[in-house]
Amino acid sequence: MAKDMEKLYAERLKRYVTAMRNEKPDRIPIRPFVAEFTAKYAGYTCQEVTHDFEKAFAAARKCAADFDWDAVVANMVYVWTGLTQAIGMKYYAVPGIDVPPNTGFQYLEPPEEKAFMKPDEYDQLTEDPTGYLFNVWLPRVSAEVTATGEPSTYRNNLSFVKGGMAMLSYFNAFGKQNELLRSECGTVSAISGILKAPFDILADKLRGYIGLTIDLFERPDKVLAACEALMPHLTHVALSGADPDKNVPVGLWMHRGCVPFVSREHFDKFYWPTLKPIIEEIWSHGHQVLFYAEGDWNAHLKSFAELPDQSIVYHVDMADIFEAHKAIGHKFCLSGGIPNFLLAYGTEEEVRDHCKKVIDGVARDGGYIMDASAIIQNDAKVENVKAMTEFTREYGVY
Amino acid sequence: MSEKEKQKLKPGVCIPWEQKKKELPQISGDEELIKKVWEDIDALGYLYIWQCLLSF
Repeated sequence: MAKDMEKLYAERLKRYVTAMRNEKPDRIPIRPFVAEFTAKYAGYTCQEVTHDFEKAFAAARKCAADFDWDAVVANMVYVWTGLTQAIGMKYYAVPGIDVPPNTGFQYLEPPEEKAFMKPDEYDQLTEDPTGYLFNVWLPRVSAEVTATGEPSTYRNNLSFVKGGMAMLSYFNAFGKQNELLRSECGTVSAISGILKAPFDILADKLRGYIGLTIDLFERPDKVLAACEALMPHLTHVALSGADPDKNVPVGLWMHRGCVPFVSREHFDKFYWPTLKPIIEEIWSHGHQVLFYAEGDWNAHLKSFAELPDQSIVYHVDMADIFEAHKAIGHKFCLSGGIPNFLLAYGTEEEVRDHCKKVIDGVARDGGYIMDASAIIQNDAKVENVKAMTEFTREYGVY
Repeated sequence: MSEKEKQKLKPGVCIPWEQKKKELPQISGDEELIKKVWEDIDALGYLYIWQCLLSF
């Protein structure tokens, strides 16, 4: 059995990597980014998988074993609330505490006047990003950490010990999870390492989207300098978590740096020039980056086409995947394009029809990976995810 | 840490070894060993805050 599983793993790895290099494997790889869907399938609540990562791991493995998937993210319910509660992070709504137990965790962006970074703090961030995060940002986002200069507290000291040890134990547990995915399920762990664009970091975690868009007009030089200061750190963190075997890509989570969240000019001046060099640097080390382009980034395909061939895998969410394929399919593997609303509200036949349309349109020459448009949560019907899987297995043979 | 020293902080570094060394008495034996362990653990501190920012 172990030998069969290793053989299956090797087949799936080869299939997945071949497609990611924009070549034609034996058949279309299936790599769903399943989050709270795994809880639904395995019989857990969102609260259980968000608070207990061992249950989240087990749910992912159960899906990997039961569905015929080539790759899966080891835990797409990645925000382990055990850790975020230890640190006292204020920007989460936690299942079973802030939202009902069967609702997935939520990010809470503060109102503009309560942004975690103030508009006059750009120079501080730019001069010493690490120091700013520890001394200014962390005390603001944490209910436990005291501000620099204030008397330290028991809770403050505990939050660092608990947070640090929790993070280490959580990250170390991924090693075993990946081994079990391989040995028990023959399934590849889909991504390794994490990246976000400097611009998205400013919007998501520091200034907030509204604050940042105002800054683009009121202090653009400061915004650009801050993005540039963040670049080497984000590159370093991405490379530190990248796959040592250089098989699977670093995950890049792309949020609100595209039209219409910002203007094309702002994308061209801020978002892209401070992200493109990071991608090129990561590629120079032999690692692909998965552009998980949430929303619709088709306005910027020409920019993405500037990147070296095969350097990225381009994931399509709400955008027109056929347009994306026309613009960049000759350079990069694509994934996604199966709408989540279809998986949640459609019929199995509608799911199969849509998979056929996408496969016929973008996958004939290889370089395509089957996946939903966005992360699959617990609204997706099991039978529809099965239909997506089984149809692709049958129809997606080269 | 002086402003100049802050600007030199590379990725992976919270408190540079050069700064820490000034706080220690005269080092004997294997300085490279002490430096390596300092830097390895310092990198964990760096990882903590940047992973808080990126992953959580």
